[in-house]
Amino acid sequence: MLTKEESERITEVLQREPTIAEVAMIDVLWSEHCSYKSSKRWFYLFNTTGADVALGIGEGAGLVDIGDGYLVGVAMESHNHPSQIDPYNGAATGVGGIIRDVISQGCKAVGLMSCLRFGQLSKPHNAYLLENVVRGISDYGNSVGIPAVGGEIEFDDSYDENCLVNVACVGWAKSDQVVRSMAKTPGHHLVLFGSTTGRDGIAGVSFASESFSSEEEDNRGAVQIGDPLAKKILIDALTELVEEHLLSGLQDLGGGGLTSAAGELAAAGGTGVDIDLDKIPLREEDMNPSEVITSESQERMLGIVSPENIDRAILLLEKNSTPYGVIGKVTEDKYFTAKWEGEIVARIPIDLLVGGFPEPERVEGRIPAQTESIAWYTEPEDYQGLIFKLLESENICDRSWIYSQYDQHVQANTVVDIGENSGVLEFPNGRKIAFTSDCNSFWCLLDPQQGAANSACESLRNIVSMGARPIFIADCLNFGNPQRSESYGQFVEAIKGLGRFSHDFEIPIVGGNVSLYNESLVDGEIKRINPTPQIMIAGIMDKGFTPVRRNLVTPWANLFLIGETLPEINGSEYQRITIGQVKGAPPKYRPVVEKRAMQVILEAHSKNLIRSCNNVGRGGIAMALMKMVLHSNYGFKLNLDYTPGTAGSLGLRLFSETSGRYVAEVTESNQPEFFEICESYNIPVCEIGLTVTDQVADFGAFKIQIRGANKVFSRGLRKYLE
Amino acid sequence: MSIAVLRFPGTNNENDVVRALSLINGADPYVVPSRKGVAGLGKASGIVIPGGYSYGDYLRAGAVASVDPISEVVRDISEDGYPVLGICNGFQILTEMGILPGVLLPNKSAKFVCKWVHIHVSDHATMFTEGLEGGLLRLPIAHIEGNYYCTEDEWTALNDEVRIPFRYCDDVGEITEEANPNGSVYNIAGITNQKGNVLGLMPHPERACRQVLGSVDGLKILENFVRAVKC
Repeated sequence: MLTKEESERITEVLQREPTIAEVAMIDVLWSEHCSYKSSKRWFYLFNTTGADVALGIGEGAGLVDIGDGYLVGVAMESHNHPSQIDPYNGAATGVGGIIRDVISQGCKAVGLMSCLRFGQLSKPHNAYLLENVVRGISDYGNSVGIPAVGGEIEFDDSYDENCLVNVACVGWAKSDQVVRSMAKTPGHHLVLFGSTTGRDGIAGVSFASESFSSEEEDNRGAVQIGDPLAKKILIDALTELVEEHLLSGLQDLGGGGLTSAAGELAAAGGTGVDIDLDKIPLREEDMNPSEVITSESQERMLGIVSPENIDRAILLLEKNSTPYGVIGKVTEDKYFTAKWEGEIVARIPIDLLVGGFPEPERVEGRIPAQTESIAWYTEPEDYQGLIFKLLESENICDRSWIYSQYDQHVQANTVVDIGENSGVLEFPNGRKIAFTSDCNSFWCLLDPQQGAANSACESLRNIVSMGARPIFIADCLNFGNPQRSESYGQFVEAIKGLGRFSHDFEIPIVGGNVSLYNESLVDGEIKRINPTPQIMIAGIMDKGFTPVRRNLVTPWANLFLIGETLPEINGSEYQRITIGQVKGAPPKYRPVVEKRAMQVILEAHSKNLIRSCNNVGRGGIAMALMKMVLHSNYGFKLNLDYTPGTAGSLGLRLFSETSGRYVAEVTESNQPEFFEICESYNIPVCEIGLTVTDQVADFGAFKIQIRGANKVFSRGLRKYLE
Repeated sequence: MSIAVLRFPGTNNENDVVRALSLINGADPYVVPSRKGVAGLGKASGIVIPGGYSYGDYLRAGAVASVDPISEVVRDISEDGYPVLGICNGFQILTEMGILPGVLLPNKSAKFVCKWVHIHVSDHATMFTEGLEGGLLRLPIAHIEGNYYCTEDEWTALNDEVRIPFRYCDDVGEITEEANPNGSVYNIAGITNQKGNVLGLMPHPERACRQVLGSVDGLKILENFVRAVKC
């Protein structure tokens, strides 16, 4: 809904009252989802540049050069509100939308990721949401034929009424085949193609830009319905149009439908558009112009085609049986003009429609300070029992119930499946690229800035441990209502954290999305999600490098812990499991040691010194080590009486979540060179044990049988779902 | 020898199959959209029907594709004895066309399943398994309707005529219930027609043709297919 201030701005600029269609158009484009009116002002904090960035934030997908004339493309987006209402269709169209973003840039889509948040599965409604979201992603992604390459999931009560479905898509394009999202040349045709236009998803972005009320059911019509077959055919047709260089501009129709696509194409090109709504192929008869122009029906694209190419483009669309309409032209006048049955129903200056909103005032609330004290901590009596509890925790356990429903091998480029630190795909120039995403929303709740930066570090370690050097970041920032100071404060702090990380590590942010209003009124009280800045990082491997996995691979090698362990147990999974809540100051973001640890691992990998490697994250080294043996043929025997740093007890050493740490398996002959590298970066390294031929996890003070550990690990989610 | 890789609207593995076949000397694969009908398949001396979601598979998998006019041509070519290979959705289509017996029901789990599996190769020689007899292969599967079912009579025929080259097994070759990923009768992963020139299988050989992907076992099946096409 437009605010009073916004309505006044419209009347002031137009010098008249807007028409019904104009109000509908401006309402969707000035929604938070389309306009970023509360968030855009902070993007200057991000590092968005780099020598390899071919296209930064602002269009469908970011593009980064990976050599040999190839670019990798990435887009990331949320589909939270629709998925809460209609989990199957909401998630499916989330996938559909993100694929469209990537292919609209001229890319071939080659990988999908999904980052999910739900309330605890012990509540049946949450299990219902998860099952249907996964089925939606699975049906859509599998049908279109794009492999899943990664993802992550976390559970917390704060997501009970607001589940999160963030999706990312990666692709590639040859540098000379990139299509830009702009309409530069007056006289070019606007060609709408891919699918017909119906009533589904009317004003979906507006409903996604408000908090949920009790009338959730009323919003069902605002959820779009996907059609993966139409998408596959659209992709086939689009591939031919791109290969023949027939498009001088292209934008997908997502949030805001035709209004957004045409408006943004014109805004980017400094032109206007003249659209004849009667030429749009409709699937319902009695639609009014406001509905036609704001519909979010799926599987549609708006292409800009020059007069000399139009006949050929139409021929290709007809050959592929793709519905299309030549619906108008690019103009010089910088207006968005729409006609319906011969009459002008909307005529809005482009610069009013796109970005012409009065910037709303937002107030940043102060983030409450957190104590460093760990007075709540007691040394566990039963280490083995705690390790079992952590392995079974929904935030750590086996995720294969989810990812086995996603096709991971279609397109035959998958080098590393989901379930490792990151998924790895081979690109057409032979380069292997690792993809991962992470967010620890508990850290972000306690300290949004440190939590966001440290979540990014966790993501970074995921790719580094496998031997990949970071090349870009994409993000999806999920927060509460920006009109409330508490949630706006969280949002701004998290942006600062991510911004710091992107500068400290010189990794460009090339794509992203902001999803606000993830909160609900429950029994008169505001219930807001944990701040959830989802941070995806991609990393490239040296030519010919074989990714290093985390399963132990050699008996009688040594295990080393890289980095210091501090008593950072606040905000940890151990804390959550043992006292049922998170509190205190979460682990600190330490860019200097994090970076040096990264350099150690990357240099050791480049010399092939490490046989297996895991990063230390949620659940501390206890979980990092367990994940190295669960699916290995070998085991380990450790002595954890000492680790570098100030963690003063075995429990703290096992479960602290201090950042900047890795566990590496190094054979004896490689150790001198390995130590030299650690020393040259001044990073402490400590031998913590050796690998053995028995399948056992022997921590010294106690032993864990792998079979039992695997049992609890694999039932963490399954016990609620089967 | 020209190998037609048949693409229905919604098929999505056609390029993977072409790419895998192109690794084999003498193979000349090309994609034929189903709308081209007889003209598209006219010169083919072998056909691959790849995986995907033909016509969206909004109905039973493969059901709509099986009534596409091109199915008559596929039937003629298979009756003429040319090698025909149906992978995943292609297998489903061949059963729906009646070229292979039985049906592929929804997985026992009722969910899509993607994972690496082992399959045991029958001792009995077929044109698709030369050199692989009695062996163990590691291939990926990815399907929601891969639960092979046939009548008692069909089973007897398949068994008596040794037309079951591939069965799901564990990593040492034992055919066990735990190794059955979808509930198929007798762990069936692939079958041939009576003449032995048509093979349908659920696992994806084209996804296991390069060492970097973790297995080259699929290439061996495709090499046999190409050799059969040449004969």
